[in-house]
Amino acid sequence: MNRSFRRASIGILSGAVASTSLIATLHYGVWSLILGVAIGAAYSAALRPTRRACADSLMAGGSLGVPLWGLISVIAVPLLSGQMPEWSAEQMRQHFPALVGWVVYGAFLGIIHQVLQDSAEHFWGPEAAPKASAVSVTKRIVILGGGFAGMRTAECLEEKFRGDFSVSIALVNETNALLFTPMLAEVAGSSLEPSHISTPLRSTLRRTEFIRGVVAEVDLEKRLVILRHDAGVRGASRPREVPYDHLIFALGSTSNYLGMTNIEKFAFNFKSLLDAIRIRNHVIEMFERADLEADPALQSSLLTFVIAGGGFAGVELAGALNDFAHGILADYPKLHPNQLNIVLVHSRDRILPELSESLARYAQEKMQSRGVSFRLNTRIADAQPGVVLLSDGEIHTETLVWTAGTAPNPLLKSLPLEKDKRGALLVDSTLALPGRLGLWAIGDCAAVTDAATGRPCPPTAQFALREAEVLASNIHAQLEGRSAREFHFDSLGALCVVGHQTACAELSVPFARSGFLHFSGLFAWLLWRGIYLAKLPGLERKIRVLMDWTIELFFPRDIVQTIALK
Amino acid sequence: MSETQTALDAQFDLALSRSPRIEPLLGLVLGVLGGLLESAVLKSSLLPGGLLGAGFGLVFGLFFARRATSPGTGLIWSLGSSFLLWIFTTGSFFHFAALAERSATMLQDAQARFPELVGDLLCIGMPVGVGLGIRGGFRASRPNNKFAWGRAIVAGGFAGTLGGFIFGRWVSSGDYFPLLAGFGEFSSRSMTILLHFAIALSIGVTFGLLFQRDVRGYGSCMGWGLGFGIFWWFFGPLTILRLASGMPLDWSAEQGSAVFGSLVGHILYGLILGVAYATVDKIWVRLFIQSDPLNREIEGPGLHILRSLGWGALAGLIGGLVSMPVMIATGVLPKVAGIDSTLVGFRAVFLHLSVSAAIGMTYGLLFRDETSTPGDAISWGWLFGLIWWYLGPMTLLPLLLTGVCDWSTDAASALLPSLFGHLIYGAVTALVFFLFDRGYTRSLLLDPRTSRRELRRIRPVGTPAPALWLFALSLGVLLPILLG
Repeated sequence: MNRSFRRASIGILSGAVASTSLIATLHYGVWSLILGVAIGAAYSAALRPTRRACADSLMAGGSLGVPLWGLISVIAVPLLSGQMPEWSAEQMRQHFPALVGWVVYGAFLGIIHQVLQDSAEHFWGPEAAPKASAVSVTKRIVILGGGFAGMRTAECLEEKFRGDFSVSIALVNETNALLFTPMLAEVAGSSLEPSHISTPLRSTLRRTEFIRGVVAEVDLEKRLVILRHDAGVRGASRPREVPYDHLIFALGSTSNYLGMTNIEKFAFNFKSLLDAIRIRNHVIEMFERADLEADPALQSSLLTFVIAGGGFAGVELAGALNDFAHGILADYPKLHPNQLNIVLVHSRDRILPELSESLARYAQEKMQSRGVSFRLNTRIADAQPGVVLLSDGEIHTETLVWTAGTAPNPLLKSLPLEKDKRGALLVDSTLALPGRLGLWAIGDCAAVTDAATGRPCPPTAQFALREAEVLASNIHAQLEGRSAREFHFDSLGALCVVGHQTACAELSVPFARSGFLHFSGLFAWLLWRGIYLAKLPGLERKIRVLMDWTIELFFPRDIVQTIALK
Repeated sequence: MSETQTALDAQFDLALSRSPRIEPLLGLVLGVLGGLLESAVLKSSLLPGGLLGAGFGLVFGLFFARRATSPGTGLIWSLGSSFLLWIFTTGSFFHFAALAERSATMLQDAQARFPELVGDLLCIGMPVGVGLGIRGGFRASRPNNKFAWGRAIVAGGFAGTLGGFIFGRWVSSGDYFPLLAGFGEFSSRSMTILLHFAIALSIGVTFGLLFQRDVRGYGSCMGWGLGFGIFWWFFGPLTILRLASGMPLDWSAEQGSAVFGSLVGHILYGLILGVAYATVDKIWVRLFIQSDPLNREIEGPGLHILRSLGWGALAGLIGGLVSMPVMIATGVLPKVAGIDSTLVGFRAVFLHLSVSAAIGMTYGLLFRDETSTPGDAISWGWLFGLIWWYLGPMTLLPLLLTGVCDWSTDAASALLPSLFGHLIYGAVTALVFFLFDRGYTRSLLLDPRTSRRELRRIRPVGTPAPALWLFALSLGVLLPILLG
């Protein structure tokens, strides 16, 4: 028997029988019966059937009588008669018989409903379970990559397909956490604990199946993602295959060493959490070694830190390392501040090409005043142990961090898909791969063009997040047979921390002369912290980071080495 | 969800499979004794009293004994049942039905039957419920839910004393002790204070001893506190205190009316006790049980609380909007705004909605784990509305506006119209909150880890929440009407 029909029938019948008490006390005639039936039906619909709970139903029904008395006898009936509700104390006392009638009605309704419900179950069996639980998966969406683009896509897809369990969502990533890269420099600078800026994908994504693994290849014909086989892992007898109907490339980018193998060998990368931890530990290691070193030249070499690249990552890292290194000098009394040298090497004539020239100049001057030196219009040519060769000289150092170039994920090279000169996948204005049904790409690994301006979109988190939202919306639209949206997004601006409580900000403002508002200093730094703290996924992480920042105000930065370097 | 339901059904089937044999007999004996006692106190004929008690005891033993698994559950089930007994028996319902067209006569008749209500609750309901509950406590084995005597006495005693202290400090300016309200002057101030705290401690300890297994969150603690406060008003000021003072028992409506202020005091004390007990209990549970990684849930409590506050504020806002017409019509809104005028301006509406949202947040905070169906939600919502009627217009509002709270029957009569506004507000807030919560839960249905939380939210069949709703809601509304 249909669930709704069964419930309604039981409710109507029990309401009709119970309404005898209303007829006896209310004197509304047939309206008492109609009221009783209607309330009975609503009561039946609102409750989850429970077997043989007569006592519970008797009491629950009786308690329902009191508010029903107030709502119907005291308020609704006088109002329907064109009078004011009779809710003064004296008027309510006049309605006392109805109160008794309603309590008795409720008690009768509860118990009769329970008896009928139990009888129905006895004769016709339990109620049919809701159909939703029997839905089978018909569409499989697989996301490759768990960065900003991948995770945001998964979140949006979860939201879009909230009630539709015929669609399955899976996300494949090499690590089980989203790294909040804007705060990565602070980890390297020992301001933040490493795990505090990483959000576990398993905890954040509720409906999405998370698969930790490295993608070995994508079989575009069979529509399969094949994960790298790890023979050393028990239970992994053969490579795992993940079938898909829609595949989203959100693999991000890797460092591009421009073919310089020595640099790849000697330089620190600055893309992952492990990279940041390594840099922090290496800096401490250099201080420890310098403390033991008697030769001033060698000491100076150990305390020289070279950062290649004057973009956001390089500048923020240089600022963070400069603060960290100067801060821990107090723990090494044998070392002198003059021996410390943070060098930023950049191939153009000014740093921060993403920001306006005035802000870039401010950043450079501010950092110089805090001890960072700049080698502009200079390229790194090669690196050997203890020395970095530049296009116009050399620097003796044990530390080189590479932030000077990125390239899309190497996996894309193996795929017979159309790419731009950088190696990023070409997508149309709806973020789909042209001529490839069910293939999509966003973020750093995609060459996205703004549909409104025709300009290429920069590979930043800000754009990746918006691309993810549009992409999820387009997949949803495609599965529902609607037309897809074109991608357009106007940048909100950019923020860059250059040192202790100092930042540069360039914010998009509608009525500003250039379209952007430029400012710098403490307020920009507070804005940076406020905005990125708000954007950091997860309340718990926010609190942890806030605590780290607060602790930093009162205590020196930690110089404990947490991993072995060799 | 279906697994949860199956587990609950299995649990219930197991309980049903144990057919009670001694309970009907025990109920019959206790009922007869109680009926005779009631007749003796009311100076009425012993035979009808004994028969009434016998009938109640037998029916309770047959149909409710399985639910009376502890003295506390037995007491609550019996209080709800004996209230229904009063409605149905002594000819009340049929008598009332016959008099329905003559309301004034009928009200007087009901007031005349007030002593029978007190007698039914205290002489028949309480002993039968507690007696069968004690028996049920020996019968029922709950290996996973052991009773912690120390926790009950310490937490209950602490909560009772703390509640008595806070409440005493809060409203005792001018030597006013709410638990003793309506009893006039005692021989000395130290005697008054001692008695106040003795009552507070007794209520607290008995609360912990009786309800440790039934209460599980702030919401249910407040509900149980409200019901227990009403019960203690019948048991304390109307009975024990009179006997202790050497005065004859007087259960008349006139005497009830004279100590009506103490009823409000007991209700508010019950609420404070409930919150204090829940706080102590929650701290215990948070520190020693929930912090155990073995009991970890997918969502931390911090996020859960914040989400509940947000949903509660939204739900309260909608509840405030729905109940606003009633509040305007009954003249409560100008009072909220602190202006003694019939004009309702933007300020009053803004304040009303702000207060509604704030109170909605308290609902989210206190009742977030209590409901699993719309019906449950509405029932807790009614109770929440009733609580706020006693707490808001009866107590806080006059206290804030005039510095004095008036708990007389006249004041209660004047505020009765707004009671419905509060009930509507509570029900709408609870329902909207439930819908928010259900929408979120449904989005997580594919996650098997949520089933554990769902299991916790579904109150198993047999817990005395429905009896509490009936007892607290009916008497919370009925007493101001009947005694006014």
